[in-house]
Amino acid sequence: MQNPPGEEPETTLSVTPPKKWAAGVPAVVHALEYSLEQTSPRKTGVDLLTMNQVGGIDCPGCAWADPPPGRRHRNEYCENGAKHINDEATTRRITADFFREHSVADLAGRSDMWLNQQGRLTEPMIKRPGSEHYEPIRWNDALGVLAQELKALASPDEAVFYTSGRASNEAAFVLQLFARAFGTNNLPDCSNMCHESSGFALSETLGTGKGTVSLDDLHHADLIFLVGQNPGTNHPRQLSALEEAKRNGGRIVAVNPLPEAGLRRFKNPQKPRGVVGRGTQIADRFLHIKPGGDLALFQALNRLLLEAEDARPGTVLDHDFIDAHTTGFEEFARHARTLDWEDVHTATGLTREEIEKVRDEVLTSERVIVCWAMGITQHKHGVPTIREIVNFLMLRGNLGRAGTGACPVRGHSNVQGDRTMGIWEQMPDTFLDALQKEFGFDPPRPHGLDSVNSIKAMREGRVKVFLALAGNFVRAAPDSEVTEEALRSCRLTAHISTKLNRSHTVCGDTALILPTLGRTERDVQADGEQFVTVENSMSEVHTSQGRLEPASPLLLSEVAILCRLARRTLGGKPDIPWSTFEGDYGTIRDRISRVVPGFHDFNARVARPGGFQLPNPVNEGVFNNKVGKALFTRNERVVPRAPEGHLLLQTLRSHDQWNTVPYSNNDRYRGIHGSRHVVLVNPADLTELGLAQGDHVDLVSVWADGSERRAENFEVVSYPAAKGSAAAYYPETNVLVPLDSVADISNQPTSKGIVVRLEPTSDRARPVTA
Amino acid sequence: MAHEDDSRQAVPNPRGRRADGDGGTRRRPLRERHVEETVEVAVPVRTAYNQWTQFKTFPRFSTVVRGVEQVRPTVTVWSIGYGPLRHRFPVEIVEQDPDAYLAWRGLEQNPSHQGEVEFMPTESGGTAITVRMLLEPRGGARLLTRSTGAARLTSRLVNAELVNFKQFIEGLGQEGGAWRGTIRNGRVQHDHPEPPRSRVAQWPVG
Repeated sequence: MQNPPGEEPETTLSVTPPKKWAAGVPAVVHALEYSLEQTSPRKTGVDLLTMNQVGGIDCPGCAWADPPPGRRHRNEYCENGAKHINDEATTRRITADFFREHSVADLAGRSDMWLNQQGRLTEPMIKRPGSEHYEPIRWNDALGVLAQELKALASPDEAVFYTSGRASNEAAFVLQLFARAFGTNNLPDCSNMCHESSGFALSETLGTGKGTVSLDDLHHADLIFLVGQNPGTNHPRQLSALEEAKRNGGRIVAVNPLPEAGLRRFKNPQKPRGVVGRGTQIADRFLHIKPGGDLALFQALNRLLLEAEDARPGTVLDHDFIDAHTTGFEEFARHARTLDWEDVHTATGLTREEIEKVRDEVLTSERVIVCWAMGITQHKHGVPTIREIVNFLMLRGNLGRAGTGACPVRGHSNVQGDRTMGIWEQMPDTFLDALQKEFGFDPPRPHGLDSVNSIKAMREGRVKVFLALAGNFVRAAPDSEVTEEALRSCRLTAHISTKLNRSHTVCGDTALILPTLGRTERDVQADGEQFVTVENSMSEVHTSQGRLEPASPLLLSEVAILCRLARRTLGGKPDIPWSTFEGDYGTIRDRISRVVPGFHDFNARVARPGGFQLPNPVNEGVFNNKVGKALFTRNERVVPRAPEGHLLLQTLRSHDQWNTVPYSNNDRYRGIHGSRHVVLVNPADLTELGLAQGDHVDLVSVWADGSERRAENFEVVSYPAAKGSAAAYYPETNVLVPLDSVADISNQPTSKGIVVRLEPTSDRARPVTA
Repeated sequence: MAHEDDSRQAVPNPRGRRADGDGGTRRRPLRERHVEETVEVAVPVRTAYNQWTQFKTFPRFSTVVRGVEQVRPTVTVWSIGYGPLRHRFPVEIVEQDPDAYLAWRGLEQNPSHQGEVEFMPTESGGTAITVRMLLEPRGGARLLTRSTGAARLTSRLVNAELVNFKQFIEGLGQEGGAWRGTIRNGRVQHDHPEPPRSRVAQWPVG
């Protein structure tokens, strides 16, 4: 165990060649090093050995599914999960003295890493209007302040209730119930910023907002596409599934602007061949695509498949499936055949021959899965891209059969479950009707605000109270300066949190920190010890129960905080048994079972080892969209272009980072050490731009309205990024993403494909001459 | 139009695909059968078929099936074993017609297997159940299973399991459940607009 850093660590950048493989023994060493820095060997052992086990803790690190009970490894976690769980289980504590020592302005000047490293929050804190410091406040008073502000609003729609994907099903259900009983649908969530495009595209085309594959499907697919995702860093346990798929004879095509280590080779540290051998090659074929070129790639593949069918009628397309289960094929096919290969090359940077080789892989594969993540969803054309992926899958009937399907890979552990529980600003009437019937009040019907629109509303003074259930909203959101200004304009901001982050330093007139239990900790309520439930990326619902003593006796669970707040705010109207909910989470699950489709007998079914899997209608032969059939779509061509002298920037996470929280300034897979203020650029682009490795530049984004945004003083690293593109770390470069730059249809911020130019910092320092 | 390089294209692999429409029963008898066994049970076809679809109950009568997980209508995961030995493998149901026919294939590459079961009414009002299985082990196991002895052993095993099923369903007298859906090419064909299991959250998930 080490003490928290007193001052920001001073490190300088060093660059080594990118790694060609992921995990292996170094992953174990790094995980243990970080864990033991944070907490004791005993706590580390308890956490890790109960993590992702039946009756244990669901790893908050990502939403990847667990193998079935009896098939799990004793160490069913990855390097990043181990770091994350022990980052939460840290023995470091933040007390009232810390806030006396550090003003809000001081904290606002600290890095994300430094704030996180200070340890666990231990008691409620308030920053009063005009004060420069947080000070302790009793729970009753804190919740009273918040309830009073809510009750004083002219309209319930002047409040926003944000949810991050760490929240359990029970907490999420209680939050949406409270918000709607209070009178608003303003329920933005982190989904708005990660997979909103997936949800919209899949709902429209397939009638389900969720992926259709299970782990077994991945294990037995003939061909798996990994598109716009970096499993080695963002969901490392996926590598185990890919390894099994490879050992079963499957092949993998990786499509990404960066040749990430985890896409190349995986050394499974839990297998002898991963410790002493060469490991498993992941990608059999790597397409080094330009950011945003994926739509053109799948349109090209679809055209090639149509042409292959022309050449050998009846042998390529799955006419049974297309005729019986889909609509829109003819219009789609007409459009697909008009593809221009020059556009494809410009959009993708790939040759026709490269794409034809992939077509050949598809033609020899009976079972195909496409996985994707934010490298797809965070583009302006994220929704059309995913719709085109669905077209691709449907052409050969790669839906609803074993070993086939669509696999959006989600990042936050319960991001899918929170949405299932009703955390969405646009919930359909069927859900609201069920709430009405169950709880006897009239939920508001007008749609509420998502994340982007919440920021706009705060900025315009239409929202005055912001409550966040977990997360680090100001760092996750785009246009950092605008978002911070929006938060600061609120009358009250409140965060239910386990650890300190920048959102606590961006305060409304009044600010509250409401410290809560983490996943690792025992949750004892009036009816005894509680567990919570979560839903993973493959729609499996299961329990999570911590084993460690809470970081402080003053911590309340998320459910307890929300129930107490609801009681204080709403009084007895409507008549909802908040105290009963707080004392026994099983009573919340009883209500969920009557409100949320698919959760019948929730308490009984989730008590089974491993919980239960929600059925996916697509795998039942049902398409619950407006047309009642799987929908082929016609998607307009998009050729992302940067003006001369500009690049298309993608923001990304480092390997040593979880969401907005960096654990160090290193990114060892990419060979970056000691600094996060780097921009990765293709060497040919550097030559054209007259730059060289080691140069210091400002990143300047250029938006359609002519406005410019600047991220200052980044060091240039020559890197095998796709030609014409650049990459830099999130959240440091969120400042470059305009609030108005959102994905069509889904309103998801576009953190990929940002047009930037690189201005040497020496130019900035130079006096302006006439 | 096909591209001029089409001659160099990979030949499509329509493994398991059927060229006929989505209409009637699509039986696909195994030509190169490894094992074929039949047993007559003294219950109507509907009863025998319905009970057969309750895969999770197989351990109740089987001497080798230790457990079955039903992942979804078309996918089951079987654990079989003898003594301390266990083997777990996923199976895809590729065709299923109520009261008539069910065909499956293992999703494992090695050993791979496929099979089918037919339900035929008998004159006495009972059911003739015929199981055909083709095992395709690879490597050393392939040599072992080529022997006549191995084939005989497999036949005996399948026959014994069918007899166990016969005693089970005749003893029960009626089925303990049923799945009456139809499967074509590994995909569920539904005849109701919204089967009960599809009633799940349909709103977009971000």
